[in-house]
Amino acid sequence: MRLLIALTTLVLSVSAAVAQHHSHGKPGSTPEAFTAAPAFAPDGTLWLARPMVDRIVVLRSTDLGKSFSAPVTVTPEPMNLDWGPDARARITVDPWGDLIVTFGIFQDKNFNGRAFFARSGDGGASFTRPRPITANATSQRFEIAGVDPAGRVFATWLDKRNVAKARAAGKAYAGAALAFAWEDGEAGFGDTSIALDNTCECCRLGLAFAGAGRPAVVFRNIFPGSVRDHGVITFHDPRTPGPVRRVSVDDWKIEACPHHGPSIAVAADGSYHVAWFTDGARRKGLFYARAESADSPFTAPRALSRPDRQPARPYLLAHGPDLHLVWKEFDGDKVAVRWQVSHDSGRHWSDPRTVAETADASDHPLLVADKQRAYLSWLTKAEGYRLIPLGDQP
Amino acid sequence: MRATAFLAVVLSLTSFAATAADPLPFGRGSWAKLSQAHAGRPTVIHLWGLTCAPCLVELPHWGKLAAERPDLALVLVAADPVPQDPKRLADVLTRAGLGKAESWSFTDRFYERLRYEIDPAWAGELPRTVMIDAKGEVTVLPGVADIARVRAWLDTQRSSRP
Repeated sequence: MRLLIALTTLVLSVSAAVAQHHSHGKPGSTPEAFTAAPAFAPDGTLWLARPMVDRIVVLRSTDLGKSFSAPVTVTPEPMNLDWGPDARARITVDPWGDLIVTFGIFQDKNFNGRAFFARSGDGGASFTRPRPITANATSQRFEIAGVDPAGRVFATWLDKRNVAKARAAGKAYAGAALAFAWEDGEAGFGDTSIALDNTCECCRLGLAFAGAGRPAVVFRNIFPGSVRDHGVITFHDPRTPGPVRRVSVDDWKIEACPHHGPSIAVAADGSYHVAWFTDGARRKGLFYARAESADSPFTAPRALSRPDRQPARPYLLAHGPDLHLVWKEFDGDKVAVRWQVSHDSGRHWSDPRTVAETADASDHPLLVADKQRAYLSWLTKAEGYRLIPLGDQP
Repeated sequence: MRATAFLAVVLSLTSFAATAADPLPFGRGSWAKLSQAHAGRPTVIHLWGLTCAPCLVELPHWGKLAAERPDLALVLVAADPVPQDPKRLADVLTRAGLGKAESWSFTDRFYERLRYEIDPAWAGELPRTVMIDAKGEVTVLPGVADIARVRAWLDTQRSSRP
């Protein structure tokens, strides 16, 4: 056991250094992802998906992140993994305990991507050869998969097929399209549909479910005038995306994509919760808003922290009757993960509390829950991976 | 002593021919060194990124301005949140006509700290231009810079010279 812990610590902490040696001529010549994405299985096992330079590995912990199994490689051959600051390899567990890993690669130097998935039906001992999520090879990025309440796997991503089509027809096309597909048994993901054209192209997506067959996706949209504010689409049924509901009018007019994506949670009472970053003319910084239901408008945004603390990377999680919200901010010396909890569907929140800190590089803070409680899941350069239980707070 | 060595590095870089050398590594404390080395001289610091599409469109405009205005002390800082290949950064600058300009790139993944040292209120949006006059007064141009404004600023610096 001690050996296993030592081995895992080694893998987690020195992977970057090792990587420099075996695949690079010169240190820093290829950018690398620094992320860890968690998921709990129904039996309480914690799974982590991590990129290791040119491959994706999965690790398993049965003691809440204190020790991990030896890594299992998902990608049999080296791949040119997407290292974008808002991209992430992820792992999802279906109700039967089977695993779905999703990740993106770069196809070229122009950041054209390809989204892949691999499955394990043997408790993570082995994975199927990674397959593209969609047949079209133009470009996909920021893939995210989730399991709906009926156990079906839904994937959504930003897709550039319509950019290519428009270009071929001599037309302009701003941004990318929000694409989606449902998993279809052994065949993999079924046909791809486009939910919306002209979304912002390089921010992560947020995914939650309003019910079986009813994904709710939050994304940075392009509103008229190249205003890159946030919108939510809730599906009426598995094939029918609803209209875009604007989360707030921040009026961030920018001809670029800020690599800062939003987060969404749908609570048990059907209320919607969104947190996001903006540098708009109307407001700047990190914000939260709630909506009573899938059709009602969002409340006035509430600021989280101050703009001069670089608040960023919010994450929301609904867990039983509770809502958890974390983000990171910087005080000139340390990065802190700040946490708020609400017990009344986001109407009132606890005072922000620091649950973890670091004085070096860090991944985005993420939230994950088992049957008992919610945890902060955070990878930092100095401390390695940490799973921190979020205690009770009045 | 350290400042002298640093200046030597900068000078050797700026005297380089049209092809850019690899950017200087920008890490913790680099901003203080950079500002110190340029203190008392009007300087334009342009923050850009290889992963920032509008930055790549904008760079040749800076190349043109640099060729046109010998009074422009231009410093380029590649502020990608994930450190980029120095060779690729140098190639892009050379192609934009900025092979001779002083150039730095973020080499530390603790980008929160690097940004904070430059400006605590900067959340990392690129491009961004910081103009510092001889007295240390700072003018920030967020987003793609209006080159006419930079020209006008340079004119002001020239006329206010003793």
